[in-house]
Amino acid sequence: MGIPTNLLGAVGINHNPSAIMHIDLNSCFATIEQQSNPLLRGKRVAVAAYTTPNGCILAPSVEAKTLGIKCGMRVREGKHLCPDLIILPPDPGKYRFVNRKLLQLLRTYCPEVEIKSIDEMNLDFTHIPPLERELHHIAQEIKAAIRREIGEWMTVSIGIAPNRFLAKLAANLHKPDGLDEINAANLRTVLATMGLADLFGIKHRNEARLFRAGIYTPLDMLDASPQRLMAAFESIAGYYWHLRLRGWEIDDVDFGRKSIGHSYALKNQRVGTRELCRLLCKLTEKVGLRMRRLGYTARGVHLSFFYADKGHWNRRVMSPTPLFASKDIYQRVAQLYARAPKAKGLRSLAVSCYALIKEPLLQTSFLEDEQKKRSLTLALDTIAERWGDFAIAPALMMGMEDTILDRIAFGTVKDLDELIWQDETTHEPVFD
Amino acid sequence: MRETMREKVSVNLIFDSKTGQVMPKHVGWQSRLHTITQVGLHHTYRSGRALIHVFAVTDGWMFFRLELNTETLHWLLTEVSDGHPD
Repeated sequence: MGIPTNLLGAVGINHNPSAIMHIDLNSCFATIEQQSNPLLRGKRVAVAAYTTPNGCILAPSVEAKTLGIKCGMRVREGKHLCPDLIILPPDPGKYRFVNRKLLQLLRTYCPEVEIKSIDEMNLDFTHIPPLERELHHIAQEIKAAIRREIGEWMTVSIGIAPNRFLAKLAANLHKPDGLDEINAANLRTVLATMGLADLFGIKHRNEARLFRAGIYTPLDMLDASPQRLMAAFESIAGYYWHLRLRGWEIDDVDFGRKSIGHSYALKNQRVGTRELCRLLCKLTEKVGLRMRRLGYTARGVHLSFFYADKGHWNRRVMSPTPLFASKDIYQRVAQLYARAPKAKGLRSLAVSCYALIKEPLLQTSFLEDEQKKRSLTLALDTIAERWGDFAIAPALMMGMEDTILDRIAFGTVKDLDELIWQDETTHEPVFD
Repeated sequence: MRETMREKVSVNLIFDSKTGQVMPKHVGWQSRLHTITQVGLHHTYRSGRALIHVFAVTDGWMFFRLELNTETLHWLLTEVSDGHPD
């Protein structure tokens, strides 16, 4: 039901002092590679999912961006724009390490730190006394501390604002190494320099909706009544935009973890059934291991195929009892796969578990067979802790050591608990 | 040109008790002794139970990725690069 939309009145611009700081690590993966290898500094570098011509560029360096090289481009396109572009494969362990170091450092400045993605963090100073939070001064100190403690090549853009949305927008005003504030005093001036698509969350479809409602600029959007925005978006989302643009907090929501999954982009679209089963088996093993490490079991299993003709097929299945053993998850995946159309060229595949239940395997079961299976799974996981992931793996996975490598997902990081898990299993460094 | 490998190498590691800094000083590779002038990044990862320290270093001409396995105390050279495109 919700609140009747006619009761959602207009609110004024938030005049409270800025309390949110958004930190964005500039060209994250590429900058970390340049920090790691001093011979790459100042050069046009791009980290790509694969270094082959069809590989997708994940992060161009600041220098490469000046030549128009962007995230999402193919390596081939990047090389066309810049023949001396240095292409590197991703090194997720290194990026997670820097992310953890950054998190530790930021926690010395503010107790409330949110990881938004591998390269974005929010500091919420709302509950810090105003006299102790001269945010511009703190931001300058953070920039210096990052260079001192993580590496001299590391730069961040920092945005300060009364809410998360405007803080992120402020961090994007000057890159690299920017520091800007958006508040009630300069909100109109800043928005006047932007187009609708510059607002995070407004892409082609939302832009078209706003155009249809006669809203052509962020300033038009700021001045529009909540009812007009709700009519444009045909939902409560319009009211949220009304609040967001006026500096009121609407994005401090943690949706929690809904699923755990892995995907894989195929090099060869005409892959045979046996090879596909091997890939699905490895994806399932990765999902199962990660799920158990995070202390979950799951009732739902989901399988998706993306085809070369841009088509999509997906099916899901619910189990009456929670699943934890990778073998049981794979059994469901194989059942789903049996129903998939086989003739088309495949582009990528994804396996995920949903309907998660926080239930560590250590919890004993009344059923004897179930208890045996739990003990066996725990023993296999203990071997993985000691000798490395997939030290014992299904025979189907033989020879797949270099297939489906570790990767970092874009977008919101739901893996804070995973990072902490890794921290907990990492002893204090012997050196440092 | 960048090349990955898993080659055992000789490494001279210095610990400075005054600054607390740890730095590989020399790498013996392909019958040559390279003097390290800069550590780009030092990070760790786990391979099973073994904690691996990774030192990304340069002698000013070549880049070396050195891995110290804290279980065996053996050093591996896992990457070299001259910082130029392939």
